[in-house]
Amino acid sequence: MKEIKKTVIEKITTHFKEVTAQQHDGNRVDFFIGKEEIPAILFFLKDEMGYNHLSHIACVDWLEEKEFEIVYIVWSYTDKIKIFVHTRVERENPVMDNVDMIWRQANTYEREMKEMYGIEFTGLEAPEEFLLEDWEGPPPMRRDFDTEAYAREKFWERPGREDARDVRETIIERTGEELPDFAKKYKR
Amino acid sequence: MKEILYYTWGAIVSFVVAFSVGITYMGLNRKITARVQNRYGPPWYQNFIDVIKLYSKKTSIHHGVMHHMGPAFIMVTAVVSLLVIPILNGNKFFPNLNFQGDLIFLLYIMVFGPLGMALGAGQTGNPNSAIGVTRGLSQMAGFEIPWVMALVALMIQYKTTSIVDLMNVQVESGRWLMFSSPFAFLAAVMAMLGMFRYAPFDIVGAPQELASGPMSENGGKYLFVMMSAGSVFTFAKLTLYVDIFMGGADNLIILVVKTFTLYLIPMLYGITSPRYRTEQSVRWFWGWPSFFGLLAILQAALF
Amino acid sequence: MINDKNSQKIVDIIQNFARQHSLWVLAYGTGCGAIELPPTMTSRYDAERLGVRGAATPRQADVLLITGYLTTKTLKRVIRVYEQMQDPKYVIGFGSCTINGGMYWDSYNTIKALDRYMPVDIYINGCMPRPEAVLSGFAKLQKLIQAGKADGAKKYKENLEWYRANQKNVIPNWRMPEYNW
Repeated sequence: MKEIKKTVIEKITTHFKEVTAQQHDGNRVDFFIGKEEIPAILFFLKDEMGYNHLSHIACVDWLEEKEFEIVYIVWSYTDKIKIFVHTRVERENPVMDNVDMIWRQANTYEREMKEMYGIEFTGLEAPEEFLLEDWEGPPPMRRDFDTEAYAREKFWERPGREDARDVRETIIERTGEELPDFAKKYKR
Repeated sequence: MKEILYYTWGAIVSFVVAFSVGITYMGLNRKITARVQNRYGPPWYQNFIDVIKLYSKKTSIHHGVMHHMGPAFIMVTAVVSLLVIPILNGNKFFPNLNFQGDLIFLLYIMVFGPLGMALGAGQTGNPNSAIGVTRGLSQMAGFEIPWVMALVALMIQYKTTSIVDLMNVQVESGRWLMFSSPFAFLAAVMAMLGMFRYAPFDIVGAPQELASGPMSENGGKYLFVMMSAGSVFTFAKLTLYVDIFMGGADNLIILVVKTFTLYLIPMLYGITSPRYRTEQSVRWFWGWPSFFGLLAILQAALF
Repeated sequence: MINDKNSQKIVDIIQNFARQHSLWVLAYGTGCGAIELPPTMTSRYDAERLGVRGAATPRQADVLLITGYLTTKTLKRVIRVYEQMQDPKYVIGFGSCTINGGMYWDSYNTIKALDRYMPVDIYINGCMPRPEAVLSGFAKLQKLIQAGKADGAKKYKENLEWYRANQKNVIPNWRMPEYNW
């Protein structure tokens, strides 16, 4: 396993100059790369190295750094290794390359990210609405979207649940942990 | 005049008897199914309650004229076939509009109801109904063949197309036709499994796959008409089988015993069977049942 | 004779008895509650002995069983289903999500109280209610029907404007067929 991971890292770092690799325990390798190189590295992984299974495309909202992180997770049936390809896009007007010509199923993930985070994918062919119907608010999975305030404003609430509170407060009370600084700003 | 009143009264009584016996059979079917599945099950009179409830529902569905006519077609089929089939041996009170050639007439009239229902279901515009109708009609093409073969064998063998003549043959010889022409009986019973549309041939109105198929747009009073027509038709079909193959019945108690014994066949076969797809069921009907039907015709023609 | 008050009373008693003992349920499996229905219907708890039976389509059903949370997207479908059902019809709200939002109380697309949008005859609380609770809910509904108090559909007809306003409040693009027949 270790040798396979080493050869994978060597191969990728020789082909792509501006990539940083990170090894994990188990069958996982992470690569961090600029967003322009994403289609190239995914093509390379699929065609040259046999990583032909796209497990997932995930998005992380780094609100403090004003960036979105998009993670492509691919898997090889021969190497039995997961490769996580990380990239960052700016949070204002995020635009990303469309990769659904490499894997057809990437289309679904991209539609979801477009709807939930507001990321534009260049040349994405998809109907307007996917999971949200008649949605008029901001993309709901962004961290600066206050879901509770939205829900309180939009949906009528039955009285009697005024003591409902953030689960993090309960955890803090029980364990005595401190809330991290960045989270305090978005505390309810 | 007096005679007409007498016959009308008899027709009403026979309808009521057919309705209550048929609907009790359906309730018993539910109870026995529940017991086989290790449940307590509904009471035997559950279907009476269901029918009363369906009748007391307000019904405001309108899809067009044929949609309203569909259940009526089924009811007409059930009542006409009940009136044509003799209920008891040589009894005048239960009138039968018996005539020479009524077996052939029955063959046609029993198809009339499903066809009318198909027209009605087509007008609702519900895709489930349309799929159910196509499946139902193709399945009917399956079981009609052994059924017609069995009847044709009987017609050839006894040179008659009248049910009463067939009953008289059995009374005179003292032998039921299910023993003297066993292949015809086998083919007819196998066709009966499809006629009742219990499992494994219940894909026509499968609630999980097709949302109950042709009747998916019919609720309330429409369903009431269809349920009562179904129970009357059940009784009529079972009586027809008893008349043709089991020597008829002299009084109502013997008739109920015989019909229930016969009714156990599709019921128990249904409880213990999974569901066939349409092409599987058509293949099933065109296999052994049709072979037995062919044997029956050979037996009738050669011996 | 037939419109006589006393004979109407007798008819009512018979009708209510039949409606009470023959409840055909359209289980709209929205949330996790749908998984509680198979044990309720099958041999362990056997709801069929009370006359409770599954119906395939809204046209044939008497009871709409809403099993869990409703997003605004599902609410649209549920309203359509409810309006296709024939009178008399009853609604059972199932689980705490239909009562006050449950664990989805701060979700951006989940309604928090079902009875703002549809008339609910019986609420069964719990997260999730066990089959015993479901059966007791059905028994309570039967008592209400016997007393003639399960009149959610009547309430819906009388206060249709209020319900429509609430529905249109959470469903901005109202492109629904009008079931006015």
